[in-house]
Amino acid sequence: MIFLIDYDRRRGEIVSMRTFNHDQSQAADETRLQLELDLKRDQIDREVVVLEAASEADLRRTHRRYFEDMASLAATPTLDVKRP
Amino acid sequence: MQFSILAGSSANRLFSLETTMTKTQIDRLGARLKKAQFEDADLRLLDGYRRSFADAYNAVVLAIRETLLLQPTGRPSKSTPSIVEKLGRESIRLSQMQDIAGCRVVVSDFSEQELVVSKLHSHFDTAVVIDRRKKPSHGYRAVHIIVTTCERNVEIQVRTALQHRWAEFSEKLADVRDPAFKYGGGEETLRRQLFDISDLVGAIESLEEQLRDMSRGQIASAPGMMVRIDPVVQEVKDQVDQTRRKLDAILIKMIDEVKKAD
Repeated sequence: MIFLIDYDRRRGEIVSMRTFNHDQSQAADETRLQLELDLKRDQIDREVVVLEAASEADLRRTHRRYFEDMASLAATPTLDVKRP
Repeated sequence: MQFSILAGSSANRLFSLETTMTKTQIDRLGARLKKAQFEDADLRLLDGYRRSFADAYNAVVLAIRETLLLQPTGRPSKSTPSIVEKLGRESIRLSQMQDIAGCRVVVSDFSEQELVVSKLHSHFDTAVVIDRRKKPSHGYRAVHIIVTTCERNVEIQVRTALQHRWAEFSEKLADVRDPAFKYGGGEETLRRQLFDISDLVGAIESLEEQLRDMSRGQIASAPGMMVRIDPVVQEVKDQVDQTRRKLDAILIKMIDEVKKAD
């Protein structure tokens, strides 16, 4: 799955997240560009990123900062990661 | 050197032409981004440049998934703010940036990290290993492998769960408090605590490796026999537990300090 995340760094929160199928990477890129152009026009400072993972659960493990606050990141012990 | 940028194929797409950018043009774009004085046209150019990494990214991620049976999370292209920040803080040109495209693998511990790095290194002929465990970058520990394919670099980040925990925590701190934390700056107390945690991560992983070596030695010296727990082994295990508790205590303290400041 492909995930397009619009993230507000200062607030530490996701503003929006859209998902695309693996074969829609071009659509994801185009949506990102349009979003970046819109944000620039409105002078809004945000991070827009395209990520790809087997599932949302995998994405939440490897890119926790987008989904969790500081307390949660500090509190959680070792990750439940898949063994290679 | 020329970079061919194919970014979209239908007429109604935002970036509909095959564009060729020279290295000089890419670096000029980088210079404009660095000054944060860029136009819509620059964002479109950057978009096209980032998309030109697609073949390299797909080849590397596919190999990792299908040949090495790992499950990386991919980031086909670095975000605009991350590129702008990197250009601003380092004397690097856009065309030299090695992590425009990349992916991340999180493994459980140091020995798995060693195994995965070794597999990746053997698999990719062009692999260059950057080991940030012995010399952390502003506290950041991980192993990065740069693979060159289709005339593009792709960065593979391999982190242990502990290294990942530190990285995610410090990035979040940088997001919500001060971006300077990411690169060794920021408020002194919190910065020092971040470095302390990084040192503890290194200490825990080193102790766990010692334990692994000890257990290998015991099994080798007494095959098939019941092995009594060596007091030295127990001592190291206790040290690991103590160090983990110390690490957790610093994290809790940091959270309290951040809450107080808010």
